[in-house]
Amino acid sequence: MSWSDALRVAWSGMWGSKLRSLLTMLGVIIGVAAVIVLVAIGNGASQAVSSRIETLGSNLLFVTPGGGTTFTASQVAAIQHELPMTALVVPELNSGGKVSSGTTVGPAALTGTTPQYPALGGISIAYGSFLTAQNLTALQHVAVLGANQALTLFNGSNPVGEHITILGQTFRVIGVLNPVGQGPGASQDNTIFIPLPVAEFLVGSDSLSNIVVKTSSPTAASLADSLLTNLYTNQYGANAVTVASEDQVLSALSATHATFTDLLAGTAAISLLVGGIGIMNIMLVSVTERTREIGIRRALGATREDIVLQFLLESMTISLTGGLIGIALGFGLMRLSPLILKSPAVFSPDSVVLAFVFSTAVGLGFGLYPAIKASRLDPIDALRYSG
Amino acid sequence: MIRIKNLIKDYPMGRETFRALHGVSFHIAQGRLAAIIGQSGSGKTTLLNILGGLDTPTAGEYWLDGKLVSQFDQVDWSHERNHTIGFVFQSFNLVPALSARDNVAMPLIYRRAPLKTRRRLAEEALRQVGLGDRLHHRPTQLSGGQQQRVAIARALVGNPPLILADEPTGNLDSHTGEEIIELLRHLNRQGHTVVIVTHSPEVASQCQEIFRMQDGRLVASEATG
Ligand SMILES: Nc1ncnc2c1ncn2[C@@H]1O[C@H](COP(=O)(O)OP(=O)(O)OP(=O)(O)O)[C@@H](O)[C@H]1O
Ligand SMILES: [Mg+2]
Repeated sequence: MSWSDALRVAWSGMWGSKLRSLLTMLGVIIGVAAVIVLVAIGNGASQAVSSRIETLGSNLLFVTPGGGTTFTASQVAAIQHELPMTALVVPELNSGGKVSSGTTVGPAALTGTTPQYPALGGISIAYGSFLTAQNLTALQHVAVLGANQALTLFNGSNPVGEHITILGQTFRVIGVLNPVGQGPGASQDNTIFIPLPVAEFLVGSDSLSNIVVKTSSPTAASLADSLLTNLYTNQYGANAVTVASEDQVLSALSATHATFTDLLAGTAAISLLVGGIGIMNIMLVSVTERTREIGIRRALGATREDIVLQFLLESMTISLTGGLIGIALGFGLMRLSPLILKSPAVFSPDSVVLAFVFSTAVGLGFGLYPAIKASRLDPIDALRYSG
Repeated sequence: MIRIKNLIKDYPMGRETFRALHGVSFHIAQGRLAAIIGQSGSGKTTLLNILGGLDTPTAGEYWLDGKLVSQFDQVDWSHERNHTIGFVFQSFNLVPALSARDNVAMPLIYRRAPLKTRRRLAEEALRQVGLGDRLHHRPTQLSGGQQQRVAIARALVGNPPLILADEPTGNLDSHTGEEIIELLRHLNRQGHTVVIVTHSPEVASQCQEIFRMQDGRLVASEATG
């Protein structure tokens, strides 16, 4: 039997029972689509992280107290004193609470900080201005809104000069940030920035969440890293204060994303495997149903190899067709994903190759046993079979 | 065409074996029309299956068309069945999902004949058995006699020298049966060697050679013409 004839026979075998073939394919379709979409989502997330590493460089250090130590605003000056290189030292006091614009109420992340905060990079002002030194010294109740906060509280209109209520106190809006978009900075879109001393009052604590240090270069950052690590180890003991550069933070995040992607791909692979078992099941049924046909073909001159080829090609046709439909479906879902996920799915050609290879292998692997079983049938028994 | 010597067939039956053929020998010359008759269970089908290479003898020798085929493996036999033998079964054995034409063309697939050639030859064969207007009918859309004609067309499409028919009229009424026998005789006149297993004395009397089986032995053979 020639390959093209074997393909034709396989195709008509599949076409002969459309609904059953489609149901059989469903496992492969879902598996392949899942591989493509989930890998793309995982990729999107880690790419957002790595692009941020590239744009920001690794000039940032995060100093986070832990293990019983607390930092107050005075620590900012201490750090500045310790570092010989020109460095920007910005404290953050993070909290959260209910915010209301009079018409809309919602949750907000609060960050009490200083006017230097925008100089760390990553954010820019859309309307108005950021916090000023005078806001801090005069303990003024003013707020700068992240893009999403401005959108939800004021429905997109310019809120500068309007008043909002945070944790029961009234604040005047003095500025709005541009959207940061995807990536780890996205949380800033939901944040409201207020003067650090005001935040201390509002929260009832002067204990900082962390201090961000920005140096002029990556070399300066690693020098500052070791200086600060030494300082705090002497002062509080090892590991009481964490000093991490931004790329350490981001690569930890990136590693998490990679694990996440692997996990998603693994889940998808399992569903492909389940699809393969479905194919095997149906092929076994098909071999039994067509026992007589197999006997007839053998009587008319088909060799065992011809029979293997016929059934193997049939299972591969099913799984490959399922694979192609799955790839198309995966692409479709990927295009829809920004509507649901807010983080873009980044298509990976590898995943299509993976899906394709996997679905071929599934058809081959799970079709082999039924095909061999078919070829081992005794022609006389097969001809006598009444199903 | 066919020469068998001391063919023995044992079927395993649990721990025992059942001997269905006790050393059968005969010779059928090229171009002959032969009948194998005998009571039910006498071993006719067993013998014919061995002649067609669907079953292998336990012992004995079988020459087909000058070749010692009793030594053949499954690949050689598949080739032999495809090129040398055409089968006609009592229960027609058509593939229900395929049209009459595709059923008839099936042996040619395993000869790697191109699709167009297969279709042309299948249509010719169907016309020869009087079904030129039923090319696209499924087996279920045909009468029993018509199905057996399709099966005969399938047996002759590859122009094999030998046609083996196991009770080809067993499932048909006597009138339709006669038409089928007439078709087989027609093929014989065209030069095919034809071997028919039958219960009908009438059918046997139309054949040039008659072999009578009893309890797995050849008990009588007569040749006329
Ligand atoms: N696969 C088998 N296993 C065991 N015994 C078998 C097998 N096939 C046939 N036999 C036995 O061999 C004997 C001959 O069977 P066979 O089918 O050749 O008879 P037959 O002459 O064709 O009968 P009928 O006219 O009824 O078709 C029978 O007794 C049968 O029971
Ligand atoms: Mg019989």
